[in-house]
Amino acid sequence: MVSLHSYLILSAILFSIGTIGVLIRRNAIVIFMCVEMMLNSVNLTFIALSKHLGNVDGQIFVFFVMTVAAAEAAVGLALMIAFYKNRESIDVEDVKLMKL
Amino acid sequence: METFFFMIVAAVAVLASILVITCKNPINSALSLILTFFCLATLYVTLDAPFMAAIQVLVYAGAIMVLIVFVIMLLNVRTESGRRSSHSVLFGSLIGLFTLFQLFYLFNRSSLTGQKGTIDSALINKVGHTELIGKALYTDFLLPFEVTSILLLVAIIGAVVLTKKKI
Amino acid sequence: MLGAYLPILVLVAIAVIFGLCSLVFSSLIGQKKPSVVKLAPYECGCEPVGSARERFSVKFYIIAMLFILFDIEAVFLYPWSVLFKRLGMFGVMEMGVFIVILFVGYIYVWKKGALEWE
Repeated sequence: MVSLHSYLILSAILFSIGTIGVLIRRNAIVIFMCVEMMLNSVNLTFIALSKHLGNVDGQIFVFFVMTVAAAEAAVGLALMIAFYKNRESIDVEDVKLMKL
Repeated sequence: METFFFMIVAAVAVLASILVITCKNPINSALSLILTFFCLATLYVTLDAPFMAAIQVLVYAGAIMVLIVFVIMLLNVRTESGRRSSHSVLFGSLIGLFTLFQLFYLFNRSSLTGQKGTIDSALINKVGHTELIGKALYTDFLLPFEVTSILLLVAIIGAVVLTKKKI
Repeated sequence: MLGAYLPILVLVAIAVIFGLCSLVFSSLIGQKKPSVVKLAPYECGCEPVGSARERFSVKFYIIAMLFILFDIEAVFLYPWSVLFKRLGMFGVMEMGVFIVILFVGYIYVWKKGALEWE
């Protein structure tokens, strides 16, 4: 039987890798993928704790996290396309001004 | 046996996620991220949540990653340019490792409390996971569920407004 | 419980082994006599024109994005359909409100012309 602790540690490792990715990469799409990875590690925590506590509420939260992730993907990637049309780049270092 | 299986899946997930942040080509990062998502879906199955595993594959690996790969192809971005970055790799990694140690410290020091519910794997096998989820979602979480539709509506309108104007 | 997932594991194993075998054995056993014509990408016998890494049109993105958002709607329909009989009229009403709100978005997309492919 795998303990709850192992699941929590795995999700902590994935979350930290996602944090490092957000901080060290400059490609906006890769940063976006790292954010998705962090959301997923939190989902793993939700489901592991939901099983540990014998309660289904945590899994409902995962449902809503997935919905938010999909909405975020649609709008965030549309923003990236709009930015690319103006600057020919999706490097986050080029995002310095609030205007396009 | 089960611990061994968990170890293999966890190791693959961590390796794939390290590949996501180290690959130079965004397509390779995206493919590694899909592998991470599949590993997480496998873990959801071992956690008695088969419906969550199904929608993890359906939504994350099947829809969100398709959109990301489309955008990579659409913008045709190659490897990152070689110019010097003000993002320090060293400091970023240090902050990430600091987060990791903080979380480990928290797990070791704190004890987990909470009211135990009545749902165990025998009940899930008898009633079915999808039904248990649905019962909670459509009675206790009715308002969040309806608000979700407004979130999706805003996302549809926002994305169309952002992309449709300048084709 | 987990034994029910054994066929999926076997399927994944067969897929991985098949992929690896066809790569490894074709590089080990196959003859290697490369020429310019052989190394050219196969395009149904035509001469390849331009690079394969061309930029896609943004039309594909709009379709994929709408697919994601309505995919989420379908995911919410699965547990509802399992519980349909037990929820009764109440279930029909709550799902009706959900679908009507998303239908407004669908009408908007249609009127805006995002679904047209010209």
